[in-house]
Amino acid sequence: MRIGNTDIEPTKIICIGRNYLDHAKEMNSPVPTEPVFFVKTLNSIITNGNPIIYPRILYENEEFNRVDHEVELAFIMRKTCKNIKSANAYDYIQGFSIFLDITARKMQIFDRNRNLPWYRSKSFDTFGPIGPLIKDINEITDPHNLDIELKINGVVKQSSNTKYMIFKIPQLLEYLSNYITLEKGDIIATGTPSGVGPIKPGDNIEASIEKIGTIKHEVILEKED
Amino acid sequence: MIKVGNAMINPTKIICLGVNYMDHIEETGLEVPVEPLIFSKTLNCLITNNQPIIYPKYLYSNRRYNRVDFEVELAFIVKDKCKHVPAENVYDHILGFTVFNDVTARKMQTKDIVSQKPWFRSKSFDTFGCIGPVIKKVSEIRDPHNLDIELKVNGELKQSSNTKHLLFKIPETFEYITKFFTMEPGDIIATGTPGGIGPIDPGDLIEATIENIGTLINKVILEGEEENL
Repeated sequence: MRIGNTDIEPTKIICIGRNYLDHAKEMNSPVPTEPVFFVKTLNSIITNGNPIIYPRILYENEEFNRVDHEVELAFIMRKTCKNIKSANAYDYIQGFSIFLDITARKMQIFDRNRNLPWYRSKSFDTFGPIGPLIKDINEITDPHNLDIELKINGVVKQSSNTKYMIFKIPQLLEYLSNYITLEKGDIIATGTPSGVGPIKPGDNIEASIEKIGTIKHEVILEKED
Repeated sequence: MIKVGNAMINPTKIICLGVNYMDHIEETGLEVPVEPLIFSKTLNCLITNNQPIIYPKYLYSNRRYNRVDFEVELAFIVKDKCKHVPAENVYDHILGFTVFNDVTARKMQTKDIVSQKPWFRSKSFDTFGCIGPVIKKVSEIRDPHNLDIELKVNGELKQSSNTKHLLFKIPETFEYITKFFTMEPGDIIATGTPGGIGPIDPGDLIEATIENIGTLINKVILEGEEENL
């Protein structure tokens, strides 16, 4: 897949939940003592400008008809690695991008309350927009001091700064690579700040991170079969 | 890209079913699901026949986490890109069947489940997804819901069942999954494990067998002792 001018071949997308204090509070989640990871499968990825498709099985079901935006700073792996030390973490990162962790919120809460996996609510097709480009790591002096925001139809819904991340990128990468091998091109999304809320068919989503850019996606209802 | 028997596949995802055999549901005390319970393992977990399962030191040396379990499962491989596949057409989109061992860090999984966290980390350690020894074509398996399935540790029978006890059968499982996600050629779907799950330890030899497919053999070694093979 091509992000801006860069071709990447991710083998997985790993996301961090509850990594901004204010978001953990708004979700009534305990503040984590270690990073909480989950996975989105690759079918969820779309790039800048492509529509987010609101699935009919959510839209037409009272129990599941809420889908939320979550803007996140993502980083892309430069090479295959395991058991990295935080001091060397940036040697393994190719660059940064904007990621939207679109989430079927009612379904996620439904599943979580039954002690079920978080998988299905996170991995619908088009629920992982990324872009508009991959900013090379050399071009970002401090990834923990970037304004991050999301607008729906021009109205600001999320507005924060990456300095409020609970677990910073070097810690995340050390922790994660202690578990699993990361491959070149893998995408790691670092969590969303507060202000998450619903999206609806017809909405125009604009997500921006300072020094990276803006991604724009229209939400459309899935066509009938 | 991985080679399973003589077949090269290029999976983009692994989707597993939990609690899909009645005997396993009884032994775990979980509720009978009303729809398939699905989760994902990441591709770093894949190994094939005769490759070692590496028991992470991180788990082994931590009393809160030092239990890792075997789970033998019937898996199927997706033939082509598809979405919204109705149950009656499902077999048109399946390349074939194989044996899958959904190795699981059980204490870690239990701890995460109780605290309502994702199931990811306990399921996706490197080497925790054994697959093989071959992919048996759909045309070579008359009835995937009538196959003996078993797992031995060091020659001792631990799991023994038949795929006829699957709660959600392959057609309804695939119809369900493709309502959510686009499937790609090579994607792996593991259909859940029967009763009898239990721990593995470094040094164990795991043999997982499904009738008409074959036996998947993997030895367990402690992380850091790979060179002693």
